[in-house]
Amino acid sequence: MAQVSLKQVRKAYGGTVAVHGVDLEIGDGEFVVFLGPSGCGKSTTLRMIAGLEEITSGTIEIGGRDVTRLEPKDRNIAMVFQNYALYPHKTIYENLAFGLRMRKMERDEIDRRVKAASVMLGLDPYLERKPKQLSGGQMQRVALGRALVRNPEVFLLDEPLSNLDAKLRVRMREEIARLHQEVGTSMVYVTHDQVEAMTLANRIVIMKDGYVQQVGAPLEVYDRPANLFVASFVGSPEMNLVEGRVEAGAFRSGGLTIPLPEGVQAAEGTDIVLGVRPEHISVGEGPHALPFDIAVIEQLGAQTLCIGQVAGVRLRVLMERTDAVRNGSALPVSFRPEGLHLFIKQSGARLDTRRSPVGQ
Amino acid sequence: MSSKSTIYSFLILGLAVTLLLIVAPVVYAISLSFYRMDSFVGTPEWAGLDNYARVLSQWEFWRALINGFVYSLGTIVFQVVLGIGFALVLNQVFPGRNLVRGLSILPYLLPTVVVVLTFKWMVDGSIGVLTNVIAALGLPPVYWFESPGAAMASVILVSVWMWTPFVTTTFLAALQTVPTSLYEAAKVDGTTAIQRFFHITLPMLKPILTVIVLLRAVWMFNKFDVIWLLTQGGPVGSTEHLAILSYRTAFSLFDIGGGAAIATISFAILSVAVFIYFRMFPLDTE
Ligand SMILES: Nc1ncnc2c1ncn2[C@@H]1O[C@H](COP(=O)(O)OP(=O)(O)O)[C@@H](O)[C@H]1O
Ligand SMILES: [Mg+2]
Repeated sequence: MAQVSLKQVRKAYGGTVAVHGVDLEIGDGEFVVFLGPSGCGKSTTLRMIAGLEEITSGTIEIGGRDVTRLEPKDRNIAMVFQNYALYPHKTIYENLAFGLRMRKMERDEIDRRVKAASVMLGLDPYLERKPKQLSGGQMQRVALGRALVRNPEVFLLDEPLSNLDAKLRVRMREEIARLHQEVGTSMVYVTHDQVEAMTLANRIVIMKDGYVQQVGAPLEVYDRPANLFVASFVGSPEMNLVEGRVEAGAFRSGGLTIPLPEGVQAAEGTDIVLGVRPEHISVGEGPHALPFDIAVIEQLGAQTLCIGQVAGVRLRVLMERTDAVRNGSALPVSFRPEGLHLFIKQSGARLDTRRSPVGQ
Repeated sequence: MSSKSTIYSFLILGLAVTLLLIVAPVVYAISLSFYRMDSFVGTPEWAGLDNYARVLSQWEFWRALINGFVYSLGTIVFQVVLGIGFALVLNQVFPGRNLVRGLSILPYLLPTVVVVLTFKWMVDGSIGVLTNVIAALGLPPVYWFESPGAAMASVILVSVWMWTPFVTTTFLAALQTVPTSLYEAAKVDGTTAIQRFFHITLPMLKPILTVIVLLRAVWMFNKFDVIWLLTQGGPVGSTEHLAILSYRTAFSLFDIGGGAAIATISFAILSVAVFIYFRMFPLDTE
């Protein structure tokens, strides 16, 4: 277990910069998830921590030790790869034991650790098999086990679940969460799947185009997205984003006028994007209710997602399961001020509303 | 159905060509070994196993057999080891890599005669480059074709020079198929570059290596032109292997039956060796 500290870590491939100066402190035992779309530099950052990618500039410390120029094997990290990267011609036992054998560990100790990890991951019956003879989920477990037996200071995982089917992915997600609780080792986990990030992370690091966009606990990121990109990337179904401008102290877009939440400072005429999550639009009569004309209905089971228009503005509204709604019907909806997010259109930056988070 | 009959007609045609061009000459050559013949025009005389008995009782035969093993083993070991070594070097990233990769195949593309003549010129007693380098280093002169040991070394050297590029090119192509994440996992697992070669590269490329070694072995065992052009089996038979002995017996000593018998024995030895090889290194396992 150890802290990981990144200071102005930068990576350039020739002229193109893949990662712009990342500063990050990862606490002892913390589960940090790098989240972002493909090509945003998540893997590159992780691989720099692992030592598989040379660092263009900056420093990396693990457990207070500067590892910037150290080989991967000297960093006391373990890595889980997206395609598992199991040694195909070695048995599962040998795969698990390999890293320990290379470190000249005692045979008995190796055996003890391999047995313990295989029990923990339910790999007991497969130890004599070759990777080819396992299912995807089992191979992923072996990959986790290979990291586990090493008892490293930090686990690094690069999209470990993306080769699995949806159902297995959920199961393995729970397993990784359990593993983290049991061993308590710091984990750095890369994914493009925001659900994985929300469910696993103590803290999420959201990246785009090689820049860190926001660092925060899952609900912090959900409640107070720092900019337009985070707002649209985190949350499912996606947040409604409506372009408009500040007029007479209110947000105005087409026929829609919404008073600015208290405490928001925005100059008259500023171009603004209003964000409101589909689950934060309330359905029902009220003093400020507006008619929502429904065009498309998606039944999700426990909930109903309706797509339609309020005063000519296209919106998605997520409500409790409603069997009665029909295409073309209208429901009264209102915007709760604590569910509104305002962003400056030009910079994408959040306009602070100094409010308590939704749900409190 | 017409498509079926088309397939059959192609099949029959192919079989006929195979029969005519491959099976028939082999059968003919084998049958010659049971006859006494001193020219191709006379009437062959049935000899039973006489040719075999005679050939096997000659010590030249056993010398040629041993020479053949020395030559093919020597060339294969050096070709494969050097070939893999070059492939690993060419697999690294360095400026001008593509040019070097392209140039490295060159010796394989040259006609044997050109390579042999180049070598002869390089070791020429007075103007040879190699001769002069050896002299400049203060080493004693090497009699490339005059002393038996040096002659064997010469034919092995030239053969290795010619066919190492084949191994390099094949191995280099195969290297591209090994996922890089395996090497990365092994790096994290604490391996050195040499350990990665033995734990990942070699096992991953074992099937292709099995085929490379087999192909090279068969080719080297039957190789004729290099030795013939360099030494004609000399001096005093020190580089004469079965193919050359067979040729000399049939066409210089006009013992056609004996030559055929040698060729047949050589063929049989090779078949048994290939069979054993496949038993030892089956292709279908990891
Ligand atoms: N070896 C490389 N050479 C050049 N560019 C690279 C290399 N590896 C990654 N990149 C670039 O760096 C950026 C970040 O890549 P990566 O970290 O793999 O993204 P992610 O894991 O977030 O999908 C991408 O734009 C990618 O094209
Ligand atoms: Mg990636």
